[in-house]
Amino acid sequence: MRKLLMGAAALALLAALPQRALADDAMATPGKAVSMVLLPKFLGILPFDQAHNGAEEAAKELKNPTPLQFLGPTPQNSVAGQIEIVTNATTQGVKAIMISNNSGDQIVPAAKAAQAKGIKVVTWDSPIPSSEGEDVFVAQVDFSDIGKVMADMTLSITGPGGGKFAVLSASPDAANQNAWIAAMKTALKDPKYAKLNLVDTVYGNDESEKSYTQAQALVDKYPDLKVIMAPTSVGIVAAAKALQDEKLCDKVKISGLGLPSEMLAYTKNGCAPEFALWSFVDLGYLTYYTAYLLATDAMKAEEGAKFKAGRMGEFTITKDPTRAKGLRVLMGPFTVYNKDNVEAAAK
Amino acid sequence: MSALDRLKGWEIMMLALLCAIVALNSIWSPYFLSVGNIVNLFQLSIEKSIVALTMALVIIGGEIDLSVASVMGLAACVMAWTFHEGAPMPLAILLALAAGVLAGLNNAFWIARVGLPSLAVTLAGLIGYRGVARIFLEDRAIGGFPDWFNTLGQQALIGPLTAAILIFFLLFILFAIILHGSAFGRLVYVVGSNVQAARYSGVRVGLVKSALFVGSAFVAALAGILYAARLGSVRGDMAEGFELDVITAVLLGGVSIFGGKGNLVGVGLSLLVILNLRNGMGLADITGNTQNNVIGGLLILSVLIPNMWQDLRDKWKGRET
Repeated sequence: MRKLLMGAAALALLAALPQRALADDAMATPGKAVSMVLLPKFLGILPFDQAHNGAEEAAKELKNPTPLQFLGPTPQNSVAGQIEIVTNATTQGVKAIMISNNSGDQIVPAAKAAQAKGIKVVTWDSPIPSSEGEDVFVAQVDFSDIGKVMADMTLSITGPGGGKFAVLSASPDAANQNAWIAAMKTALKDPKYAKLNLVDTVYGNDESEKSYTQAQALVDKYPDLKVIMAPTSVGIVAAAKALQDEKLCDKVKISGLGLPSEMLAYTKNGCAPEFALWSFVDLGYLTYYTAYLLATDAMKAEEGAKFKAGRMGEFTITKDPTRAKGLRVLMGPFTVYNKDNVEAAAK
Repeated sequence: MSALDRLKGWEIMMLALLCAIVALNSIWSPYFLSVGNIVNLFQLSIEKSIVALTMALVIIGGEIDLSVASVMGLAACVMAWTFHEGAPMPLAILLALAAGVLAGLNNAFWIARVGLPSLAVTLAGLIGYRGVARIFLEDRAIGGFPDWFNTLGQQALIGPLTAAILIFFLLFILFAIILHGSAFGRLVYVVGSNVQAARYSGVRVGLVKSALFVGSAFVAALAGILYAARLGSVRGDMAEGFELDVITAVLLGGVSIFGGKGNLVGVGLSLLVILNLRNGMGLADITGNTQNNVIGGLLILSVLIPNMWQDLRDKWKGRET
């Protein structure tokens, strides 16, 4: 009897563990020819190149014989350019378009036209605000977590005494930055941050020069500013450079979201003592897996769908808590960098 | 006569270029010649194409209007804002067109009445109208327009043609008649080629210029509304930077930046060249900076070739005598 019980238990365990995972998880069938387009907000900045590398890594693993197209507009022509690329990809009849959306809801008609032709539209990095025309959003980290980390970093830099700080964001309609800033404002309501005073939010449009002058303007406008929080990899570098050039790094510190390789010098010299980021390589990798699974009909974009994304393990499609109707895949987590760990990450 | 010769030569060159591009595109991409793609090719830049028509008139008249893209943005924002505040859509559209006319009257006042250079006045307009547009919308995006409005911007109206494409062709015919078949058109050439002579011979220069700038702003406002309908949502940075693409198309069309020379056929051909080139490059997965480089190079050649041709001719003639 005992033997039987043990045997049953062992069977149950066997059934419960690996087979369950096999039965539930959508698995990618490698080697299918799927034409896919990876569309960043614009070309020419490192995070998007890293995402491209990650997507190429996944493409290699999945042995997709059709090469991945990495297409993007120029920063000055981002909206019209993204719409044009989505429309052309629709004409070409690709199977999946992966968009880091910089066009707000203006991309919706083009994205819907793509879906109408059976193309899977996966967003990454920045979603379609209304989620119309989008199958699923691959989110880098939980947006409310970003808000909290931004508040934490600010407090850690100012010390318990707190003080004034300002946000230097990307474009006024960048859905991701706006969501993070909103999440940070929510986090700031916690009494823990009572001494932090958010005085202004300005926009550098993810252009180095504009971000640089906006940072200078902030320092001029608020002489007792303690921290500039830039949740954009372009803005944070430009702001750090502005403060270094003005020799203000003793008074005002920079923080936000940045790339270790670009921030190394500023973290070492104390202009930007702390900043955070997730891996864009992983984001590109996971996005490619998600889009490949959808485009090969191995998975449906619906709540509760589970899938395995190569080296990154298992993920689930859930409702996106930051938008009314959207679905998302949550990547997470992210790392806070300071002078102790930035060097290793910059390599 | 030689000017006419050169104009004709220009159009033949553009036509040859166009044929070459279309041929290459059709060989290159199996999708190029589909009806859907041809419609997209127009539709993706239709607002710029519409504005290029009035820009051609302004430049032939010896002036320039750098504020067109900002007027597009202003009109779209006025429309979105008034709609958002509860106005019915037709009223919102009328108010947007009115905002365009006001911007045009403002430009006209400083240029035609006060006599300031249009480059400076419309540069101020480029900054100022964009500022007003951004004040209306701040950091928001406004969408949710009535279905008929979005359908008008995104679906075909007659056959495969959208409303914006039909409007472009109607305006092309209208402005071709005005420029090449009316007394006003002749005045535009006269004012553009020699404003002093025009003044001394009793042409009401101020009135001609005012009409050009008000017309330009009105058409830009219309284009802004069509752009909003195509995208289904409006934000403050709409159409930012479009003025340079528009001016590029006009100059490539053989219109002289110094005024007095050029015609709408050339502009039409140049639009076709640019649109086909961009579309072909897009289908060949060439985007962004490379596209800009090719179009920029084309523009430089368009200035170089006629000048070099003229030089060669002059030298040759010099040798003959």
